[in-house]
Amino acid sequence: MQTTLQNTSPNKTASQLFNFWESFKKSGTGVVGLYMIIVILILAIFAPLIAPYDESSTANVGISDIYQPPSAQHWFGTDDAGQDVFSNFVYGARVSLTVGFFAAFISLIIGGSFGLIAGFFGGRWETSLMRFTDIMLVIPDLPLTVVIVALTKPSLFNIILVIGLLGWTTTARVVRSQTLAVKSRKFILRARAIGASKPHIVINHILPLVMPILVVQGVLVISLAILNESTLSFIGLGDPSVLSWGQMLNYAFGRGALSSGAWWALLVPGLGIVWIVLGLTLLGQGLEQVLNPRTDTHHLMPSRLPLSKEALVKPLHQNTLFEVQNLSIHYVGEGKAPAHAVEDVSFTLKEGELMGLVGESGCGKTTLMLALLRLLPSAGQIVNGKVFFKGKDLTSLSEEELNEIRWRGISIVFQGAMNALNPVRTVGDQITEAVMKHEPKFPKENIPARVTQLLELVGITADQRDHFPHQYSGGMRQRAMIAMALACNPDVIIADEPTTALDVMIQAQILELLDNLRKKLGLAVIFVTHDLGIVAELCDKVLVMYGGVTAEYADVDTIYNNPKHPYTQELLKAFPDLTKPKKKLSSIPGYPPRLDALPAGCRFAPRCPAAFERCHTEQPALHSIGNNNHIASCHLVEASK
Amino acid sequence: MNRSRAILNKTAWAVFTILFVIVLNFFLFRILPGDPARAGMKDPRLKQEAIEALQVRFGLDKPVINCFDSLNPIKIGNCNVNPLETQFFIYIGNLFKGDLGISYDTNRPVSEMLSERLWNTILLIGAGQILSIILGMVFGILGAWKARTLVDYGSTGISLLFWSLPTFWLGIVLLFWGSANGFPIAGKATPGMSSYPLFQQWGDVLWHMFLPTLTYTIIFMGEYTLIMRSSLVDVLSEDYILTAKAKGVSAFQILKDHALRNAMLPLVTVIAINLGFTVAGAIQIESVFSWPGLGSAVFEAVERRDYPVLQGAFILIAVSVILANLLADLTYTYLDPRVQVE
Repeated sequence: MQTTLQNTSPNKTASQLFNFWESFKKSGTGVVGLYMIIVILILAIFAPLIAPYDESSTANVGISDIYQPPSAQHWFGTDDAGQDVFSNFVYGARVSLTVGFFAAFISLIIGGSFGLIAGFFGGRWETSLMRFTDIMLVIPDLPLTVVIVALTKPSLFNIILVIGLLGWTTTARVVRSQTLAVKSRKFILRARAIGASKPHIVINHILPLVMPILVVQGVLVISLAILNESTLSFIGLGDPSVLSWGQMLNYAFGRGALSSGAWWALLVPGLGIVWIVLGLTLLGQGLEQVLNPRTDTHHLMPSRLPLSKEALVKPLHQNTLFEVQNLSIHYVGEGKAPAHAVEDVSFTLKEGELMGLVGESGCGKTTLMLALLRLLPSAGQIVNGKVFFKGKDLTSLSEEELNEIRWRGISIVFQGAMNALNPVRTVGDQITEAVMKHEPKFPKENIPARVTQLLELVGITADQRDHFPHQYSGGMRQRAMIAMALACNPDVIIADEPTTALDVMIQAQILELLDNLRKKLGLAVIFVTHDLGIVAELCDKVLVMYGGVTAEYADVDTIYNNPKHPYTQELLKAFPDLTKPKKKLSSIPGYPPRLDALPAGCRFAPRCPAAFERCHTEQPALHSIGNNNHIASCHLVEASK
Repeated sequence: MNRSRAILNKTAWAVFTILFVIVLNFFLFRILPGDPARAGMKDPRLKQEAIEALQVRFGLDKPVINCFDSLNPIKIGNCNVNPLETQFFIYIGNLFKGDLGISYDTNRPVSEMLSERLWNTILLIGAGQILSIILGMVFGILGAWKARTLVDYGSTGISLLFWSLPTFWLGIVLLFWGSANGFPIAGKATPGMSSYPLFQQWGDVLWHMFLPTLTYTIIFMGEYTLIMRSSLVDVLSEDYILTAKAKGVSAFQILKDHALRNAMLPLVTVIAINLGFTVAGAIQIESVFSWPGLGSAVFEAVERRDYPVLQGAFILIAVSVILANLLADLTYTYLDPRVQVE
């Protein structure tokens, strides 16, 4: 059980701290916040050295000193008592920080223990503690603080105590959910299994994992405590013996700074509060970014425009529906080498043709498919190549023109349709949207019948049409997606593992449906799958991808009977063949390469059983074999020519 | 859990919380030492009759609470008393009659003083909330839509700054600015306005509302902007947005039909959680601008040590916040169809 953070060597802790600092530095806001807080800390610690006048010194103050504007003697002027505003401001930083830290400390102890106990022990503890937290969360904070402070002596100690005792609610909630999240981790379960006592587990195993979130929460609680103290002081419930920034504002506001035009007495303490709260907020954001990195990208961000080196204007082949020429796609990250996700992929598709797209996960299949409809995330870019659909070059169309082709011409069934349907709209409604968008002339009153018919096609009954996605099972959502993809009678369907989540019977039905549609309506399908059985049964041609490049491309018979690329051969070995039942199944050892760290030579070379020297240094070109459009990228093919 | 049960459950919890606040309010004002009605009675200069008269006037001659023999083994309090004649039950009974006691300062019934102020506060909070929610949504949507551009960085930066402003201080700054530019700086209406036609009176009120509402809007729009932006970015990176894009739905329609409602859900939660802060904001803004609302009632009650008013204002504020919170919760139930099964 050497897995806790406390048992790690000092070196490891130091390197962890270093890593933390490295990733923290990346968030500019966090660093700015940190510096802002350091400035205030210096001000507070060295107050006697920095402040030109003593704390609340009333020596040599006369009536003429009241509300003196800023001057060389008094940088920020004087206040209602003729005191130096800058000096009081410097000493005020001490009060604000004291209140902030101590009140936050109390809040964090209470909220942290409530959250830990509720999250770890669960059951009755959790119910009662969280109910209590909910109640305290709803009761307005400040009025309650005001009532309690008004009924007790407004000393700094009381103020800290009250703010601390009332400020723990959000911490309790945050810590509880974090505790719930970490309590089922393996090493904690193991510690429980070997009989470690519960307090031991909470303190030694769970607390270190909850600590980071507690720190972030602490930063926010400090800023709230500082704001609360200044508000209390302003209302007149501050400690009269201590001059906090809120107290300075209270005196100035209540004693005629406004009418004397003494803006400095009002502006300076207020800016101090803004400075410290803003600093803490930025710091909190920076820490949060380290804990839960957010990329801040989304699907509606403008995508990068496609580039193209070769100026091809026309499709090369006749009578094709869909033609992809030399398509290359890179992912461009800030400060990172571009990832070559897809490199130089070409294929064609005729009406009614079904192409299988095969390859392990992470071989660029999904990227390729998204690029066909220009749906790449904002970091992805088509850097070369053309996509022709019915003679139109999709890489040069505008978004508006593309929107006409999307779904009507080419539709997509996404992999894992779990989140592919909008959770707050009914399934029928989402299919209706596609019909209305692309067939504006379709009579409105017939749309529900059309939607029902589409759903029945995939085995979903009419009464489930107006259900929400969460009322569907996973398989039903997948089928609903297929129904939606068929809604506008597209010419091409791109289906990304559409049947993986389905049971065998439904799977067979769906495949039969697709097969019928292509025979009747000439529907062309690009079928991404791991299942070579389906490929053998349905597909006309196969594109095998590896590490973003075409490994092999040929008609289905050639792929099965005469595979040239070792990767294709290995894939086939991994698939049971009923005609040769005695053959041993083998899997390919290793994993596909990371697309931002590709090997120098052939991308498959590190795993290839037939690799020789040249494979590790030189990328193989795409070689044509025979005249059947059979293509393979392998040095062996060239050698055997 | 179906929807009606969820509603019932939430309502029951709101009622329970209100009862908790009522009990808390009673005991806070009896346990903590500051109430002058009792503190003053210890004044040695007072004669016995005067003390008794004061006690009768504020109901302090009655026992605080009776003891329940079965529930209270320690036997605190007087057990030989009719429960209905204890301070606690008189307080509860009076509450249900709408009687919040009599102000130490003005000698008027507290409920009468506060009921006129409640509406002023609702007017101010209502206007401020609506404006800050609308502006927060607009800037949040802009920020998410133009994520990682100058528009986004600008609106996020300004929102963080707004979020960090102490409410009362912004009020003071705007008051400073407003008084130099001819804005009314105090109260709800110009004195003597009541002889003017109604629409002119309303115009006058709106004119007086300008600075407090502006303060309110600035304070809250920062947070709403940040929430709306991050929630919309989250929704826009969901798979179903990609589906809609693949369907050929235009970006604007995706935003309108697929993203906004989903992104609103966290905003509704935050608005609900914020109601407490809303009141805190109102106390500060009303104090700065002397707006005759519940918040300035708290401010004045603290200033004048007028505890019945403070107690009444606290109850009224807490109950309003709890009810508004319930309303927001129920809105959430309505907005999110998934609540039905959860």
